Amino acid sequence: MKRSKLANAALISITGLVFALLYGPIFVPIVSSFFTAKQGQIDWSAANLDAYVQLTSNEGILDAVKNTLIVGFSAVISSLILGTLIAFYYNSGTSKARSLLQFIVFLPFLMPPIITGLSLLIFLREIDFARSLVTVVIGHTVFVLALVYRTVLVRLQSLSRNLAEASYDLGASRWQTFRYILLPNLSSAMIGAAVLAFALSFDETMITILVTGTQNTLPIRLWAMMRLGFTPDINALVAIILGLTTAFCLIAARHLMPKELVQREA
Amino acid sequence: MPPGAGLVRRVAGLPVKSSGENAVRRLAAVTAYGLPMVFILVPLATFLVYSFFWVDHTEMHYDVSLLNYRRFFAEETFLRVFRQTCLLCLEVSFLTILFAYPVAYFLAGLTGRKKYVLVMMLLVPLLMSYIIKIYAIRSILGGNGFLNRALLATRLIDEPLTIFVFNLNAVLLTLTVLLIPFAILPIFLSLERIPRNLLEASADLGASNWQTFTRVIAPLSLPGVIAASTFVFVLAIGDFLTPQMVGGQSGFTFGRIIYSQFGAAFNWPFGAALSVILAIIVILAIAIGARFGSKQGIAL
Repeated sequence: MKRSKLANAALISITGLVFALLYGPIFVPIVSSFFTAKQGQIDWSAANLDAYVQLTSNEGILDAVKNTLIVGFSAVISSLILGTLIAFYYNSGTSKARSLLQFIVFLPFLMPPIITGLSLLIFLREIDFARSLVTVVIGHTVFVLALVYRTVLVRLQSLSRNLAEASYDLGASRWQTFRYILLPNLSSAMIGAAVLAFALSFDETMITILVTGTQNTLPIRLWAMMRLGFTPDINALVAIILGLTTAFCLIAARHLMPKELVQREA
Repeated sequence: MPPGAGLVRRVAGLPVKSSGENAVRRLAAVTAYGLPMVFILVPLATFLVYSFFWVDHTEMHYDVSLLNYRRFFAEETFLRVFRQTCLLCLEVSFLTILFAYPVAYFLAGLTGRKKYVLVMMLLVPLLMSYIIKIYAIRSILGGNGFLNRALLATRLIDEPLTIFVFNLNAVLLTLTVLLIPFAILPIFLSLERIPRNLLEASADLGASNWQTFTRVIAPLSLPGVIAASTFVFVLAIGDFLTPQMVGGQSGFTFGRIIYSQFGAAFNWPFGAALSVILAIIVILAIAIGARFGSKQGIAL
């Protein structure tokens, strides 16, 4: 797309501004994590790691991180199993009910989280199911299910039918065909979906706040702390999480980037 | 299964079913249908039914009435907040598109690795804790925040501005900053899909860069823009935490009213009715987006 120098300069400055807007709110806590605040004024003279040391003794936060990880892994595993199952069902079946099933699976992803959260909240109260981390896992699973299902289904549909037929020809059972032929072909899509689902679950706040019991996940803990203002160790936690996320993205980009692109560049 | 069918199927190269496998298949079907029914459809149905119940002096009445819906349309406060919120979310969509289009256009014009690194960089902030971002934006916009200090330091203003804290402006700005990436991606994808030879043809036929943009690129990227605005609108209208956090007393939105029905006000049926109204708006927005926008953008 050709354009004049002036247009180019304008585009670059707007892009720069947007990146500043996106990254500003992230860098503020990270930079603050290395300095000590006294009476609301940040002491810029000396950088230190006090905040990181404090973090190791903040039980409430560490507990919340632990809960978040438990919920994330449970939601990923249950959504992977259910999502793959539904994808297989959709792909192999012929009944009309399949489209309805697909529609139901998409609902929590399309509707605002507040509606998914509230409907679960009301439903759980009606059946007298106490709110706990289990209900949070249910909420997260329902939320990420559409994404996992869709990713697996797209891959499944791209696989040639000959693969499964060849397997049956050679006398494999359904289970063997699934286990040794289809599953290995689906694994990269499933890993991608799992990573995204985990990322969504890790930061899910709006459904969680409605269906959680007394145990907090990290976003809920942060939400509760926010009214009082954050302590420096939160900044440290933010810095660590961002570091891990970025590293993770880079690794994912390396492995998931389209192959032909990497080769062209090399 | 008739006797010998297993052999026939094996010869024909079809999978052989045993009765155990049949049971597993049935179980799989029950799970595939059952779990989404129980955990998605039934709660949504319960929720819909709940919106017709009513509460009188903290006592639940389990009989069907249109009381909640009537109350919404009768009380000016609710209607006003509702209108205000819809308008606010339209403004958020408009602002995000205003920022997102040039960025998407710039990114689509890049080549090779640079492009993918920058697109990846747009995604990193999305993975960052939403609560922390709101908090940081609030501290930047706040009375004692970076923005005010910078403006004071440059002597553009004499005393800290308060127009960006705890009101609807703050909600507007915060939502815009949070949602920009969601607008950039659909537009970027729609720009990417424009075949290069169309642009070359346009140039060959003597069109200037500006003409190529207004006559070729802009119309072809319109579906992406519509998908992006639908996306942002739906995300913005469903958000009740951002307004709660940065809106203060005056920045009341529809989402906050719904949330308060389940907290302080403790009127679940009324909250459910308001959420049904929210759902209708969202369905309308998605329908409009699907009608005029690109399917790929929505499915993103």
